[in-house]
Amino acid sequence: MNIFSDIIAHRELLANLVMRNLKSRYKDSVLGFLWSILTPLFMAFIYLLFLRILARGVPMEEILIGVFAWQYTAQCIFNGLTCITDNGNLVKKVYFPRMILPLATTISNLVNFLLTLVVQFVLVAILLGLHGQSIGSAVIALPVVVAFHFLFCFGIVLFLSCANVYFRDLEHLVNVLVTALFFVTPAMYSFSMVEQIVAAIHLPVLAEIYMLNPMAVIITAYRALILPGVAFPMTAGAGGGVLIAAAFVFAAYFLFQKLQKNFSDMF
Amino acid sequence: MPSASVPLCLLIKMNAIEARNLSKSYRLQGSVAPTMFGSLARMFRHEPPKLLWAMDNVSFDVRRGETIGVIGPNGAGKSSLLSLIAKTTAPTSGSISAHGRVSSLLELGAGFHSELTGRENIFLNGAILGIPKATLARRFDDIVDFAGIREFLDMPVKFYSSGMYVRLGFAIAVEMDPDILLIDEVLAVGDTAFQIKCLARIRDFQRRGKTLVFVSHALQTVEEFCGRVFLIHKGKLVCEGKPAEVIFKYLKEYMGEGGGIHAVEYGSRDVEITGVRFINASGEEAGTFAMNEPFAVEVSYHAHKRVDRPVFGFAVKTGNGFFVYGSNTQIAGFHMDRIEGQGKIRLKINPLTLMQGNFFLSLSVHSWDHSVQYHRLEDWYPFVVKNSTQEQGIFRLNSEWEKV
Repeated sequence: MNIFSDIIAHRELLANLVMRNLKSRYKDSVLGFLWSILTPLFMAFIYLLFLRILARGVPMEEILIGVFAWQYTAQCIFNGLTCITDNGNLVKKVYFPRMILPLATTISNLVNFLLTLVVQFVLVAILLGLHGQSIGSAVIALPVVVAFHFLFCFGIVLFLSCANVYFRDLEHLVNVLVTALFFVTPAMYSFSMVEQIVAAIHLPVLAEIYMLNPMAVIITAYRALILPGVAFPMTAGAGGGVLIAAAFVFAAYFLFQKLQKNFSDMF
Repeated sequence: MPSASVPLCLLIKMNAIEARNLSKSYRLQGSVAPTMFGSLARMFRHEPPKLLWAMDNVSFDVRRGETIGVIGPNGAGKSSLLSLIAKTTAPTSGSISAHGRVSSLLELGAGFHSELTGRENIFLNGAILGIPKATLARRFDDIVDFAGIREFLDMPVKFYSSGMYVRLGFAIAVEMDPDILLIDEVLAVGDTAFQIKCLARIRDFQRRGKTLVFVSHALQTVEEFCGRVFLIHKGKLVCEGKPAEVIFKYLKEYMGEGGGIHAVEYGSRDVEITGVRFINASGEEAGTFAMNEPFAVEVSYHAHKRVDRPVFGFAVKTGNGFFVYGSNTQIAGFHMDRIEGQGKIRLKINPLTLMQGNFFLSLSVHSWDHSVQYHRLEDWYPFVVKNSTQEQGIFRLNSEWEKV
């Protein structure tokens, strides 16, 4: 059976797993959903203070957008890593399309991200209002970026979840790589800051290379659509970043499909 | 000819399950979870992976509506076979196909999420098993009553007892209404009342022409329910056929090997027990016996030296080690003068008052004063008793009613 029709046949399972993930995330804490907003907010404040100390001015609204978008990717990475291994008992004993598990993880984090996005919009609108600005009309194109971000996260979850079945110690390596990815992603700083630095050292090609990181493309695109003062760099580097993301998602998909039939033997 | 397509279609779908040269190997990687460091270390040591063949070139057909019993010693590959039919694991080579909706009772409660309540888990587990939400909503009360968990419905399942867990799992699983039902030893759990409910459900499946594959160590249940039995040993399909014959072969040739409960043998061997034959009511050698009918055990011995007044003893235990009865020739007042060379004695039990289940017979021969144990075979010989009456229990009490 075709994987897509197989997933559609199991859509009730998918919906149930998404609800299960969301419920168990919000159930055990009094603040529940509030933590999903408070954590990135606290982080945004810390980065803002830190950057002020370094005497680099980055507008608060840029940091907010960057940190919230980063939060979605980071949560997908950490939940995605164990989404197959945590359900080992289920995988071993029940047949269902294995891709449901990474899909449910990516979707439940997306739901959480979309909910935080509402809060984020209110905050950004207030901050912009303070300097007499408002959210631009380009924001209607936001679903395209969210869809691209979702697919990229799905690729990451597909890759990590099946790699973790074979290498249970992957977590340690992933911790290091996520930190590295965080620093080469304009989450707590802006892309214009990168441009200033590469201009100062006369190596503009570095800005192109920087944009090969799909997360740099995604976060800069969010900012360009929401904030009136940010322009998306229409460069070969950014195009490369989009292609790299697409190639990665396809590769992860085929890797997952190839390995999934042996998952149950690994528990 | 338009009508030709119908019989052809039926012909194709005659078999519910088809396996051709089915093989499955597992990599033995010890108890630790696979890691990157472990893989690198193995690569540098040029260690070939150790393989275990859980299924080794097995071919068979299961017809629609058949009930197949699968028996064999522990680790023979029975559960692997069910996993292959259920598609939870893929064959290493060969093929297996199941036509129709397969569901297995080997996953009882596997999809439960401990933080969610019983109510939430019914819907989650139902979705995992592919039961439409509408069906679950309609059958909700039946599921709850069958599992008997109504007062615990809104409690997280982590507070459930293991019995409640399994009962709820079973109640949901039977709502799947599959074409092929796989059952793996699940009926060993739960109290008698629940087991009777489960067996009734299974009979209901049979009546409706569903295909069943049944793995069990409860041999009398296998004999009672199955039309055909597969005997699996070390991943190979050793033999298949009528339940009584296959079970007998299993008891005689394979069960002793894996051992009974302890299956120990010791003694000075001055007198050796060389063979045992279980004889049924019609005087034939058998492995399965009917309750309340004559039962006999023929013991062959070889005395390597002259032994005066030897004592032969026997004991019977249930499959889970409960000691039922024991006696010997001395207690029974059967005196043997002396033995030397080969000989036979017969133990007659008439009627057999064991009710049903797997039992183990222990035999011993020792000196009249108990000072020398010549040969003792503890839990060595398995046999099966089946009960065709309505009476319940493990041992028959000679009982009657009267008006007072």
